[in-house]
Amino acid sequence: MSILDINKRNNDKQLRKTILTYLILSVISIVIDKVYGIFGHGVDSKSMTWMFLYPLLGGALMYFLIGRLIPHITKLTGYRVFFNIYNSGIATLTLGSLLKGIFEIAGTNSPYLEYYYMGGGVFIAVGIFIMLLMAVRGK
Amino acid sequence: MKKLLSKPYRWAAIYSIILTVTFAFTLVDTFVLPKSITNVSVDAVPSKSSLTASEGSTSTPSVGETLAKSDTQSEAVITNKSYQDENIKINIETVRKYDSNIYVADIQVSDASYLKTALANNTYGRNITAATSDMAKDNKAIFAINGDYYGFRDGGYVLRNGVTYRDTARSGDNDALVIDKEGDLSVVSEDEVSLDSLNDKGAWQVLSFGPGLVVDGKIAVNSSSEVGKSMSSNPRTAIGQISPLHYIVIVSDGRTSESEGLSLLQLAQEFKERGCTVAYNLDGGGSSTMYFNGEVINNPTSGKSIGERKVSDIVYFGY
Repeated sequence: MSILDINKRNNDKQLRKTILTYLILSVISIVIDKVYGIFGHGVDSKSMTWMFLYPLLGGALMYFLIGRLIPHITKLTGYRVFFNIYNSGIATLTLGSLLKGIFEIAGTNSPYLEYYYMGGGVFIAVGIFIMLLMAVRGK
Repeated sequence: MKKLLSKPYRWAAIYSIILTVTFAFTLVDTFVLPKSITNVSVDAVPSKSSLTASEGSTSTPSVGETLAKSDTQSEAVITNKSYQDENIKINIETVRKYDSNIYVADIQVSDASYLKTALANNTYGRNITAATSDMAKDNKAIFAINGDYYGFRDGGYVLRNGVTYRDTARSGDNDALVIDKEGDLSVVSEDEVSLDSLNDKGAWQVLSFGPGLVVDGKIAVNSSSEVGKSMSSNPRTAIGQISPLHYIVIVSDGRTSESEGLSLLQLAQEFKERGCTVAYNLDGGGSSTMYFNGEVINNPTSGKSIGERKVSDIVYFGY
């Protein structure tokens, strides 16, 4: 079975659900920043302030564009592989950004932070590669 | 693997668990797990330049030598806000200003060796912490304040009692406090001066927090200068120098309804008004603690309850 095999199910509903989920996660990220800011004694962190961009742009916008530009890939078997890998990347980057924000506000750092960004980046790169493969060859 | 990645929720569930575990580990590793790197009494040896300088001193006791406890210490005149013997004179004044309680210690010593630093548990490392008052008691300090909490960060110079523990400069424009063998304070920029060169110039203690509040007799901060982008008033700890062997130490309460805390500019003004030519901000917030003669003088708090935060190090006066 190839990732380019066609899965006949219509995934429009799934796509809308994914976009909505990412929008909710963006709002939750903003709320976390605001709540954390209350206890931060005036210290803030750009990493935490802007972490909502990962689910908003990397998540909601990305799936919106997929629905508009390459909706046919959602019917391919490999879409689920892309979906899982790409989402893992966004989750890892968002969490890495949250951790960096926590550390910046506390005035410390961790050598492990770079692994979140590296891991998230690899997941996203692999996910986008699979997506492009499906977009080009899956027509 | 492909089968796993193709399942709707199995991968999401497994990866969520992995992320949760790594997230928790990273937090615990950063904030909790102690990592001992050097034991002061066993492994730490004063750097070559420090030893050379100590050996070269003949007329007066050098900073590197341990001065015997003077008999006069037992004959010291002590009140709840002052201490005086023939070598150390301390006066602590409590000032109400800026809606804050400010504790100002005026300290004069006869020799630079009475100005010292100590590490928690006599160990250099990350998350090796102890209360300022406990460290002060362990070192028989007469007066002590929290230091720079070096163990909360991976960067910033750490030179204590002539021993180099960390020569990594913090990235960006950060000030370090240098206390030389004569007991004189100076503020340097970490990205411009290496710790080796400071060592060569006779640095005996280097603390890395900042910023410098008063440099060359002028206030070096403004209303927008803050630590780690903190824009509010906070508990503060800072040390300054008026003249040779004459110091001012200021600790302010903050984050409570009784005491708002000081901005860095207000703190700098306090030092300037008292004639300090140099002053440097140390770790503040919940770390800010002033200890004198067995008691904690201020009201340390992180904003929730009154109580000392455990920190990596102290600056103290004593024998």
